[in-house]
Amino acid sequence: MQSISFAYRQLNALILGKPLQIRLALTCVLAGGHLLIEDVPGVGKTTLAHALAGVLGLDYRRVQFTSDLLPADMLGVSLFRPDEGRFEFQPGPVFSQLLLADEINRASPKVQSALLEAMEERQVSIDGLTHALPKPFFVIATQNPDGQLGTFPLPESQLDRFLMRISLGYPSPESERALLLAGDRRQALSALPVAMKAGELLALQQKAAQVTVSGALADYVLALLLASRKRELFMHGLSPRAGLAILAAARAWAMLDGRDHVLPEDVKAVFVAVCAHRLQSRLPGMNSIDAAQRLLDHVPLA
Amino acid sequence: MRSEPRLAHFAVLAALALTVLPLFLQLPPWVPLLFALQLGGRAWLAWQGRQLPHRVWLLLAMIVPVLLLWLSLRTLVGREGGVALLLLLTGFKAFETVTLRDWRVLLGLGFFLAATPLLFDQSLPSALWLLLSLFVLTWAMVLLAGVDSAASPRAAALALLYAMPLMLLLFVAMPRLPGPLWSMPSTDQRATSGLSDSLAPGSIGQMIPSREPAFTAQFRGRQPTREQLYWRVMVFDRFDGARWTAGSVPDNGTALLPGATEVLAYSVTATPFKGVLPVLEHAVWAGEGVQQAAAQLVRRIDARNEARLRYDVRSVAQAAYPAALNAEQRAHYLQLPAANLRTRQQGEFFARQFRDEAGRLAALRAWLQQQGLRYTLSPPLLQGDVVDDFLFSSRQGFCEHFASAFATLARAAGLPARIVVGFQGGEFNAGGQFWLVRSSDAHAWTEVWLQGRWQRVDPTVLVAPSRIVSEVGELVPEAQAVLPVLGRRPPQWWHTVQAQWQRAGFVWQQWVVDYDAQRQQSLFQRLGLGRVGVGSVMTVLLLGGALLVLPLLLWLLWRRPPPRSYPVRGWQLLVSRLQQAGVAAQASDTPAQLRDKAALLAPALQQQLAQLLADWQRWRYAEGAADADPRWRGWWWQVRRFRPPRLAAKKRTGR
Repeated sequence: MQSISFAYRQLNALILGKPLQIRLALTCVLAGGHLLIEDVPGVGKTTLAHALAGVLGLDYRRVQFTSDLLPADMLGVSLFRPDEGRFEFQPGPVFSQLLLADEINRASPKVQSALLEAMEERQVSIDGLTHALPKPFFVIATQNPDGQLGTFPLPESQLDRFLMRISLGYPSPESERALLLAGDRRQALSALPVAMKAGELLALQQKAAQVTVSGALADYVLALLLASRKRELFMHGLSPRAGLAILAAARAWAMLDGRDHVLPEDVKAVFVAVCAHRLQSRLPGMNSIDAAQRLLDHVPLA
Repeated sequence: MRSEPRLAHFAVLAALALTVLPLFLQLPPWVPLLFALQLGGRAWLAWQGRQLPHRVWLLLAMIVPVLLLWLSLRTLVGREGGVALLLLLTGFKAFETVTLRDWRVLLGLGFFLAATPLLFDQSLPSALWLLLSLFVLTWAMVLLAGVDSAASPRAAALALLYAMPLMLLLFVAMPRLPGPLWSMPSTDQRATSGLSDSLAPGSIGQMIPSREPAFTAQFRGRQPTREQLYWRVMVFDRFDGARWTAGSVPDNGTALLPGATEVLAYSVTATPFKGVLPVLEHAVWAGEGVQQAAAQLVRRIDARNEARLRYDVRSVAQAAYPAALNAEQRAHYLQLPAANLRTRQQGEFFARQFRDEAGRLAALRAWLQQQGLRYTLSPPLLQGDVVDDFLFSSRQGFCEHFASAFATLARAAGLPARIVVGFQGGEFNAGGQFWLVRSSDAHAWTEVWLQGRWQRVDPTVLVAPSRIVSEVGELVPEAQAVLPVLGRRPPQWWHTVQAQWQRAGFVWQQWVVDYDAQRQQSLFQRLGLGRVGVGSVMTVLLLGGALLVLPLLLWLLWRRPPPRSYPVRGWQLLVSRLQQAGVAAQASDTPAQLRDKAALLAPALQQQLAQLLADWQRWRYAEGAADADPRWRGWWWQVRRFRPPRLAAKKRTGR
């Protein structure tokens, strides 16, 4: 647990003024989920991904997604070795513990679905052979908000594969001033100390999965799910998978608080990050984030 | 999701305005207009979020309209005065409407105002308007209760629907006053039938038939033919040479003896004309509320009551008269002024020529038919001796001319005669099985005393038989009902729609408006409840109410979620206690949020709250205690005892 709080402090020192987002990102990692960061360019998406990999001591690869990227560029290819007379599999960048899929919405849908399949199955099938991905494996994808030129927006069914979607947003003036004065972050990035030993993250993930969820808390999450399906706020309600995702994230959040049980406030803390990208608001002039917050404000605890 | 209160306030004002719209037809127009301005002004203040005027200003502003009202109506009570005053005061009430409670009071006044148009008019359109008003008022009430605006119309409709059975029960069971409450004299009297109380042929140049319905009649058993339908309303028996009026002569008995002929049994719904109600000839029996009167007419017992009435009558085709005319009566029915010499000479000629009275009458009829008289609704005006002028010069006229001429002729010929004015025919509504008689069916004919009884002679039929067989409308092009916009003959579907509308109006009148004390009494007796009194009404209300409400209640209970457990109830109670204390607490807050929000409470209370919240959270989420856990009971009682006092309230504003 000390290693986690150490990692949290380190990340906060590097990315200034964004403690909530950093905590959500850590929660996402501890819950074993994939993270989608949606933001305009230049606010530190890549830095956050990079720093997470560094602090957690993970093997880290980065793929810059472009419209001409092919699935093989990411998954790997089987090469013929004439000297040995056989095919040999050359693993692609997906075979890493932390894959940073940069600007995922600039790649063609074909590449996107290949990646998302790997995320879901945690394995890759090529030429009839199944290759397991390393453990832990998770993807941090970044994406520019809709409306930017040259993008293929991810369909909802695929957004569902990400446990959370967060956005960093512009830093506060004080943080930005500190950032301007501190200069290049890349220097600090390489100087970032590793907070965890190999295998420690896996152990923490297992511990997070064991945080208790009481019947009353399950009732609360159920009430949220049911309320989301009432067709007043959203086009479609939350799926059972979303319900499991809420609980997984809330468990990890509770563990970060050092608790062995989940409280409603844990659910409230992660709810918007876990659910907003799975929902489409029906209300005019209200995006899904506001609508999800509104849902939280109207569902009673008991 | 709660709707914005301001929306509800606008809804209340709009509902009030809509509700009193029919009063524009009944009150001096400036009264509803001022009311609308008051509502508009209040809405503007709400829109701008301004402070309301001070009470002193309101009191001062009230003086002028109330004074004006007094000047224009000369009263502040009664139907017009009372309703107008209520309207104005409601308008001023809107200006001291601030809190939710005030708005509810204003809405309650709206429900009261919604009933006032019924004091003036109880027709089907008024009832439909009332229904619409009720819906809009209920909708405003639902909005005021904080229901989401999108869900509010449905909620209002459901609320009305749930109330409908009780409404019907109250309609059936509430004791009626004998005679309508609102038959108090009103300031203006409008003529409601196409009749006047004297007959002066030749003084009217053109008769414009009005298609306005005059009354309805429903026959039990056999339907009569059109030719049988002579509805008698007035009898004129004195002639001054130009004008026929009703004289006063002792009648030869009001009760007719039914002969061995067939009986027509029917009910009529009509407005009395000077106390007299239309009935067919030879009425031998009159039901409750009416009585037979001189000249075989039927009068309302309560002659001053001018409200619409439904009454039962039986008529026979031929009736025997109990007594012959005595000398005084005979002289009265033969009375003629000195005018109209030629007509009198013509009559005397027949008297000399035909000794037999029946033969004399036949000769008179034959003679009239040969005079080349023409039926028209726009005859030339007559001058001097009007009967002579008509018979020997203009030879054009309508029923009044014919009746007047024939009666003069018959009297001159020594046959006692009188003129009867009423209605002839009617329009049969096959869907509703009733006859609708219109003002345009007004008619005049004569009766001649022959062989011991009054016999009808309709001189108009002798000249223009189609006047009786067909309607005036079909006979005279200008009398056709025209669609105001199209200005041409209406299509067939228009007639169908009209017939259906008349039928609906008839059913409304018969089943709702005519449900009076007497009908209620007979219904109670048929149900075995005895007399309408406190006991029987309470029985009906309680028993009927239980029968109607219990199933609804059971259904609602059955639909309700299962009973809530102690921790759930306690949580909601705790939140509402905090809300009552002025803390912006919500049931969706977490215990930590509630603790933060309650920071303004006294420290001891805060500590108490923190303990309650901590227990709730620990037992429920850390220990996973079931709802049936025995500890919850004690916790619930602690919550019940937790009563934080109200924090200092905010200042009230116009919003």
